[in-house]
Amino acid sequence: MNDTGCLHLSNFKAAKGSSPYKIVHAFFVASTSYEARRYKATSCLCFSCGQPGPRLHSCLHCIYFACYGGHIQEHSKNKKHFLYVDLSYGNVFCAQCQDYIYDRELTDISRSNRVLEAKSLGISVPYTPWLPNGNEVMALKRLRKRRLISPHTTIGLRGLQNLGSTCFMNCIVQTLIHTPLLRDYFLGERHKCKTQGSGKCLVCEVSKLFQEFYSGAKTPLTLHRLLHLIWTHARHLAGYEQQDAHEFFIATLDVLHRHCMNGVEETEKKEKDRCNCIIDQIFTGGLQSDVVCTSCSGVSTTIDPFWDISLDVAGPGSLQACLERFTRAEHLGSAAKIKCSNCRAYRESTKQLTLETLPIVASFHLKRFEHSSQIDRKISAFVSFPAELDMTPFMSTHRRAVDAADNNNDPEGLFEDNRYSLFAVVNHLGSLDAGHYTAYVRQMKGSWFKCDDHMITRASLREVLDSEGYLLFYHKTVLEYECDVP
Amino acid sequence: MTVNNTIAHQRLILSGDRERFKELLRRRLIECGWRDQIRMVCREIVKEHDSNSITLDMLVARVTPRARALVPDPVKKELLQKIKTHLLTQKNL
Repeated sequence: MNDTGCLHLSNFKAAKGSSPYKIVHAFFVASTSYEARRYKATSCLCFSCGQPGPRLHSCLHCIYFACYGGHIQEHSKNKKHFLYVDLSYGNVFCAQCQDYIYDRELTDISRSNRVLEAKSLGISVPYTPWLPNGNEVMALKRLRKRRLISPHTTIGLRGLQNLGSTCFMNCIVQTLIHTPLLRDYFLGERHKCKTQGSGKCLVCEVSKLFQEFYSGAKTPLTLHRLLHLIWTHARHLAGYEQQDAHEFFIATLDVLHRHCMNGVEETEKKEKDRCNCIIDQIFTGGLQSDVVCTSCSGVSTTIDPFWDISLDVAGPGSLQACLERFTRAEHLGSAAKIKCSNCRAYRESTKQLTLETLPIVASFHLKRFEHSSQIDRKISAFVSFPAELDMTPFMSTHRRAVDAADNNNDPEGLFEDNRYSLFAVVNHLGSLDAGHYTAYVRQMKGSWFKCDDHMITRASLREVLDSEGYLLFYHKTVLEYECDVP
Repeated sequence: MTVNNTIAHQRLILSGDRERFKELLRRRLIECGWRDQIRMVCREIVKEHDSNSITLDMLVARVTPRARALVPDPVKKELLQKIKTHLLTQKNL
């Protein structure tokens, strides 16, 4: 099979160009506008038998619609019109070759119409797999070394040396390295740095780390350069004592986010004052806070970005219960009156937090460490967490719909998919002052490993789900695609 | 197709909902591995023939019965349920 069409199609294109195909496709295959859908709805019937199928085709020579049950073939024979388009898929049949034929130019037309169709329907653009361009084909031919990834591969797994209480860093690095979308970004070499080789950019350092992890070598790595960079840029973490893994995670994201500005492309790409760097694209969500005045029912809404959600663990017993409590409306009481802009007075109010936008990676921090003026303690309460999590119940739109008892049957909402899969868990073992961190990471679907500094051992999902859990990382199961075409 | 059916069908195309449902079906079939399964089935059939002697029509005729049977029940159920609810709400308008 090739995509150079056939002689008959070439002759047709030489005489009439590709516009007959383009027009038929834009109206009747992938309707690119409301107008086109109107034509499609009313005229897609076989001219011979009046039926909508089976497999309606259009003659490319005279735009005669007929079914594949014999009528299009009849038309083709009688009129000697040999090319016809399948109206469901847009493929061209050549009656002289007696088969469907593929032509690169027509395939490109078809693809761009599909994108326009998706835009006109307000749905995400169909996913198109990566195809190598000319340079990449050359590179692939030149570099003959190939690595076959088998289902039992351990590529991407490497232990990390403990540099003296640096297990907090090791487990966060393991988590970041096993974040699917971050891995794709770095292995795709998307960070083009302006500070090339200065050794001061943390994004470059992480980029190098990914290469080390995926090099196939098995010896443990030493993260002294990374540690030094973070000490330099997040001063409060400097020193050799044990640090909190959560604090380190947030500090690392912050430094990475700041250093993304070193990227050649990323500085210009700012949408509506929102940073568009890879860290924000993956980790940033929007937390909505609604404060309702109990006197006038006036609502004041604010939305703040977040990188993770910290949850109280005392009480609940499951992650879902923690989230349920986190997003419940809370009465603020008479001691905490808030000025209502509507009443122009201090009033009692209720406050509710909901998730306005979800990040691609949802990170949960179970607040197991309690620091108060009297006592510092660790709460080892059991909190179960699922391998698959649906975030829909905690979203602002959903909460509103429940309050309004409004059933959401709108097909616009058909594709709302807020399912997440667990891909990393960081655990804290031991007591508050003499503890140790380990991480479970998902290397491939269903394949889990325990990372304990330099030791990597295979783990079962059961083992992961039975662990205590301190930081939980979930990755969005289904990704939506945006289109670049204006 | 009765007149009522035709109108319902036309309305689905006009509103774009037919494409939306199709897209949803497409996603579910990819998610559950159906598409990969069918790809393997097609590959086997093509291998049975000498290269270039097989046409799309032959392939479609042989794959269709198996492909239909392989669609998982939950996928059928979800689509049926969603289309039904959608058509009923439309009727009330």
